[in-house]
Amino acid sequence: MAKILIIDDDPDMVLANRMCLEGAGYQVISANNPTDGLTLAQAEKPDLIVLDVMMDTATAGFQLALQLRGSEKSDQDKPHIPILMLTAIHSTTPLRFGPDDDYLPVDAFMDKPIDPEKFLTKVRELLGSRA
Amino acid sequence: MTEGPPAPQSPTLTDTADLARANGRLILTRWAAGSLVLLAAFVSVTVLRLPLPTPELYWVGAAILAYNALLSLLIQRAGADPDGPPARSLQRFILLQVGLDWLALTVFLQLTGGATSPAIPLLGIHMLLVTILLPSPAQYLYLAIGLGALVTIAVLEYQGVLPHYNVIPGIPPDLYLDPVYVTAQVGLFSVAAASSVILATDVVSRLRRRERQVTALLRTAEALSATLSLGEVLDRFAQNAALALHAPSASIRLLEEGSERLPMVASYGLSRAYMEKGPVFLSKSPLDREALAGRVVIIRNVLTDNRIQYPVAMELERLMSVIVAPITLRRGPVGVLRAYSRDAGAFDEQSAEFLLAIARQGAAAIENAMSFKALQEEDQARAQFVRTVTHELRSPTSGAQSLLRVLLHQHADQLTDQQHEILHRVDARLEVLATLVDDLLALAKSKTAGFQADPEPLDLSALLPQLVDRYRSDATAKQIHLESQVPQIPVRVLATQEGIGLIFGNLLSNAVKYTPPGGRVTLTLVREQDTAQVRVADNGIGIPESEHPRLWEEFWRASNARKSEISGTGLGLSIVRRLVEGFGGLITFRSAEGQGTTFTVALPCLED
Repeated sequence: MAKILIIDDDPDMVLANRMCLEGAGYQVISANNPTDGLTLAQAEKPDLIVLDVMMDTATAGFQLALQLRGSEKSDQDKPHIPILMLTAIHSTTPLRFGPDDDYLPVDAFMDKPIDPEKFLTKVRELLGSRA
Repeated sequence: MTEGPPAPQSPTLTDTADLARANGRLILTRWAAGSLVLLAAFVSVTVLRLPLPTPELYWVGAAILAYNALLSLLIQRAGADPDGPPARSLQRFILLQVGLDWLALTVFLQLTGGATSPAIPLLGIHMLLVTILLPSPAQYLYLAIGLGALVTIAVLEYQGVLPHYNVIPGIPPDLYLDPVYVTAQVGLFSVAAASSVILATDVVSRLRRRERQVTALLRTAEALSATLSLGEVLDRFAQNAALALHAPSASIRLLEEGSERLPMVASYGLSRAYMEKGPVFLSKSPLDREALAGRVVIIRNVLTDNRIQYPVAMELERLMSVIVAPITLRRGPVGVLRAYSRDAGAFDEQSAEFLLAIARQGAAAIENAMSFKALQEEDQARAQFVRTVTHELRSPTSGAQSLLRVLLHQHADQLTDQQHEILHRVDARLEVLATLVDDLLALAKSKTAGFQADPEPLDLSALLPQLVDRYRSDATAKQIHLESQVPQIPVRVLATQEGIGLIFGNLLSNAVKYTPPGGRVTLTLVREQDTAQVRVADNGIGIPESEHPRLWEEFWRASNARKSEISGTGLGLSIVRRLVEGFGGLITFRSAEGQGTTFTVALPCLED
């Protein structure tokens, strides 16, 4: 079963995501800060990363995503790990920005609070054949 | 006419325009003068039968008209240049005109009787003209030339070298040979001419000085009001003070809060070495202490005055005198404005008065720039506060909601119906809280400058249908017919994506929320001349007419909306209105209770 890394500084969010993913049978590891997250990502080679957009600062999540992608680019053998970014940005803002390779190296966005069904659907979609 | 060191700047446009006007007036007057010579000669000879040297006088008149024609041709050619001739050449041109005039006048004087000529007062007029038009001390030179010419004519006629024309039959024909008469005539005229020139010089110089001061004050006001950045205001302040006082350099020192240091915050025309000469302390600088007490201080000679903290540095900078004025804001004196000169005793009481006027202008500009800076900082602080608070409020709600939803999802079959309902209700309350937080953030953003992204050209024809689609599932669930009508052509406005999303998202969501099942919600976009008109119309519960005036109030909800089961924060329309107005638009509405509501948003269109 696929291994999923959750990086979020909010323990409640980690717990909610973990319950949801474990209930669906995934193996879950987690980190509550960007530094540990990066280390774990490199050591454990997860199949998917669920990343909080706003950790210590409003941009920590974005920076971490850039770092992860940067290390992938420098090493051709490393597989591309999909990143699902959780945002607290206004869910009623209809014209929100979408993922963009140049601008934001993430694969998908999802608004907080999570809706378990939509969340799992998105996770399955991102894992694709690795599920 | 100018005093002190020459202006460090090129003559201004006004000076040039003045000179050009003076040139024009001289030419016009000369047409009259030349014609008058001809007319007077004609009348004197034919009507009065005076024994005048007619052909010579006609020649003088014709010569005046001829060289005037030439001069006016020259000036017209120079005027064709779009930039106009430079001030220096305009001045030289005046000099040329005056030279020719004086030549003509001297000949005219000789032809009309020399020392006995009734035309002598005309010489006085020309001397005054020179005093007004040419820079000092040219008028004294012309005074000497004029008087010299008069004396020369008198002497040469007396000696018989030049012929004498006795033009007035009533006076004795050999009066010009009477030494007493000639001396008295020439001497008294000289006294009168010299005193007129001296008096006029004084009047003109004072006038010029005032004019320069007014111009300098206006220019300072203009320069200072053109910016709100404190750094720029200070720089321009120093520069304009120096220019206004014709001083080579100036500086501004502002008192450091809570200390007696008086650091230099702006300067003009000073060397780096001088600026870095060391800190100025109030306790060591009696000069600045006196100025900060509220009066202008003049140091006539820095070498002999012991009120200067760094006399050697000043000497090295070749500065010999200083004038210091206090910069006084509403809360009291905050610093000093200094102007320097390379000459000892360059500044007087008048400079003091003038520098104080400039310092007052500068103080007002500094005050404005400081207030503006404070406002900007406050805006930034508020933006940061709102961001933090929103994050702090949003995180626990979304954490709690996420946990609740996982619980409901994962353990649904282990919960009783009652537990289910309780958890759903908790989730609904949390949802209201989350919406409130989002709305508060949006409201704070709309109120805080610098919080929003830069507006960009957006095509409403493309954006609005996408927005409408977001509410389609809500509408379908309530069996509401939702449609959008937009033109096939782009209708572009200057706005932010987020702003447009919030404006029409709020209006559409309200329309769907407050329209009963089976109703209808329509969004229509039309372009009317230079505005984009978007109408969001529903046939929902409407707004009672008595409550229309309160519609835009924050947290206000219509009575029929409050009575309904539908939740809302009462912030949406405040946000919408602020955003619409922020984009330079206008929002209006029509509504009747029980019949429906139509909101119309008009936004300025961009040209295709």
